[in-house]
Amino acid sequence: MSRIGVFVCWCGSNIAGTVDVAKITEEAKKVPGVVTAVDYKYMCSDPGQNSLRNMIREQNLTGVVLAACSPHMHENTFRKAAVKEGLNPYFVEIANIREQVSWVHEDKERATQKAIDLMKMMVEKVKRDKPIEDVRVPLNKRALVIGGGISGIQAALDIASGGVEVLLVEKEPSIGGRMIQLDETFPTLDCSSCIMTPKMVEVNQNPNIKLYTYSEVEDVSGYIGNFKVKIRKKTKSVIEKDCTGCGECWNVCPMHKNVKSEFNMNLSERTAIYVPFPQAVPLVPVLDRSACLHFKKGGKCVKCYEACGPKCIDFDMKDEIVEETVGAIVAATGYDLMDNSIYGEYGYGKYKDVVSGLQFERLLSASGPTEGVIKRPSDGTTPQTIVFIQCVGSRDPEKGVPYCSKVCCMYTAKHAKLFAHKVHGSQSYVFYIDIRATSKGYEEFVRGVMEQDGAIYLRGRVSKIYEDGGKLIVKGADTLSGNQVEIAADMVVLATGVIPKNGAGKVAQMLGISYDKYGFFTESHPKLRPAESSTAGIFLAGMAQGPRDIPESVVSGSAAASKILGLFSKNEYEVEGTIASVNEATCVACFYCQRVCGFNAIGPKEIKDRSGKIIKVVANVNPGLCTGCGACVNACFSKSIDVKGFTDDQIYAEIRSLAI
Amino acid sequence: MKTVINEENRRNFVSLVESMLHDKLSKCYQCGKCSAGCPVNFEMDYTPNQIIKMTELGMEDAVLNSKTIWLCVSCNTCSTRCPKGFEVTGIMDVLREIAEKKDIISKVEKEVQVFHEVFLDNVKSNGRIFELELVGKYKLKTRRLFRDMFLAPKMFEKGKLRISGEKISGLNQIAKIFKDFE
Repeated sequence: MSRIGVFVCWCGSNIAGTVDVAKITEEAKKVPGVVTAVDYKYMCSDPGQNSLRNMIREQNLTGVVLAACSPHMHENTFRKAAVKEGLNPYFVEIANIREQVSWVHEDKERATQKAIDLMKMMVEKVKRDKPIEDVRVPLNKRALVIGGGISGIQAALDIASGGVEVLLVEKEPSIGGRMIQLDETFPTLDCSSCIMTPKMVEVNQNPNIKLYTYSEVEDVSGYIGNFKVKIRKKTKSVIEKDCTGCGECWNVCPMHKNVKSEFNMNLSERTAIYVPFPQAVPLVPVLDRSACLHFKKGGKCVKCYEACGPKCIDFDMKDEIVEETVGAIVAATGYDLMDNSIYGEYGYGKYKDVVSGLQFERLLSASGPTEGVIKRPSDGTTPQTIVFIQCVGSRDPEKGVPYCSKVCCMYTAKHAKLFAHKVHGSQSYVFYIDIRATSKGYEEFVRGVMEQDGAIYLRGRVSKIYEDGGKLIVKGADTLSGNQVEIAADMVVLATGVIPKNGAGKVAQMLGISYDKYGFFTESHPKLRPAESSTAGIFLAGMAQGPRDIPESVVSGSAAASKILGLFSKNEYEVEGTIASVNEATCVACFYCQRVCGFNAIGPKEIKDRSGKIIKVVANVNPGLCTGCGACVNACFSKSIDVKGFTDDQIYAEIRSLAI
Repeated sequence: MKTVINEENRRNFVSLVESMLHDKLSKCYQCGKCSAGCPVNFEMDYTPNQIIKMTELGMEDAVLNSKTIWLCVSCNTCSTRCPKGFEVTGIMDVLREIAEKKDIISKVEKEVQVFHEVFLDNVKSNGRIFELELVGKYKLKTRRLFRDMFLAPKMFEKGKLRISGEKISGLNQIAKIFKDFE
């Protein structure tokens, strides 16, 4: 027989001001099964919690209903208090009469009636509650980091420094990501390579980090603590352990004029066997078979093999699949730039001297195609006037993306500064809509570019660029003076919008994490859980979450790492017990539930007899993955799935209580 | 309006203005605080912050022929309130000066320009203002003799206008200032 206690909270005047709490208490006492009902000013306070505990003890309560604020606020508080008196925590139910009643209604009488109804529903629910045990999942204390850019590197280093083994998987032949492509970094003008390469080397030397470059994660299954990962090691055609990185192979490669260098943003060429840049980690070349003469011309060219001292070039090498088990994953897949050529009016792709921000970055870089001397891609001369255009693709819901790419204001200012430093007497013009310089030292940096380096900022957009006599004529507006302006420039740099890495959506689907309409991975909570994905055990870092600068990327990498180290500080992971459970007796194995499950939590299970013969196949819920959302309950034709604590029986009882 | 920016002309104009102003145009935030508080803004063709931007862009003709530079009453509200401490009143003076030197006669605000000339003449010859002489010369030059005549009796009554003027003792020093300037 149920012995239910009802506790009505005033929440000061928050509830009591709009709802007649005394009346709820009186009504509660009349509900069958309720043995006691009290109201109190602040149930969440120490005296309030004590009265709850005393009542459970003295009245031998089997269930408790709190008519109070949202369960998001204090469900845990009251559960903990109940547990101290030996009650299973799931015998505590909350009727939310603050957010759902007092805060949204004015008519006291009707609000009170609604509160009474909610209270009654919860009494009916708690009567049918069954004890639920939280699920414990064992943890494999290894982590996988996808993406070897700055945030992935930071995450890997931090996890490794906690003594945990890390697998770092990078698609490209070298780690370093976008940051290693940059010249100097705002606002301190630290040289990107100088601060990045030590970290890259550290990754390579750390005994806790296993590096997979030129590799891709192909499949992920399992759940927090126990992810099964398939990694494809793409064919490098070079035996890594024997290679010394001497460079003899790429020096003799005849294909030195035919392939555009991805690292230099197509501003220079590379060989078929190549390292993307001299400081690559690991310093092992890869052979691009699509460009290699050996593969194109039936094995004739073996120049690199002949030149190689340790003979570590293997033309017969094949892709290799490695299977690993990890307990947690960091998704740090980074970003790409939008396609500039959608703006015909800017002439990107048509005029060689209209370049993207990253291309200009390579022109500035000492390791770039021009060794740091700014030269026009068209004729190699030094530009005297450069027009920078901000918000190319960003803040353009019609053609581009509506969001702000966040880094362009600052890198454009940096470009203008470096241009002024490298070409004396030069002039830059910057077309902008707004200037967003919000971190430490950023505003001062931008002002310095205007006031000390003489960049002219024009508030407005550019409408047309055309070539005339070797110059690029830029037609734009300056809304501050209310003018149409025309500038004859030698070069134009487009501050191109940032989009998620090509294929990020696929990665998200493979990992079972949610992503927004642009393809950026979404956080479990945008403010309070910024490092976690929607799936337990998978964490996020870097630009894969949305536009951010280097310090923020480093912070997010460290945040993901600290979350993983925190997770791994225990031997087991505890999951709330309110998850789906299958009635194996009635399940007909149609697996509709599996199809609707958004978390890959349902799979088949074979039921065998003593001799090992399969009698029946039923749906099975993986407790590590199930979030208790209830989608499968709706899909089940044979009513064989229920979410613990939210069974059909309970829901119907709640509804019936309203009819009485 | 369309402006084709000629880099060399722009730089020349900006450096001329900046050297006379002893301030940098690039300091301006373009926040518009100067224009927000300007008591004569309603009569201007360009707001004070627009004048600063246009000068920076080298729009010499437009600023030197603007009404704004002549309408500014040098009340200094703009300069006092400018968050960057920019000499907004100063730039108006500088632009007026450049316009004078280039013999640019403002089409719309000719009388203001005449008033400035008469005012300075008056200071040059007396070392201070002799109001009756100032008013007389101004009226002769503008050929609008009877405008505001009805104000005269009241001004006499209150001692704002006097029949005879005074000269200050150190006139030679005033002459030196004018000479230094010219």
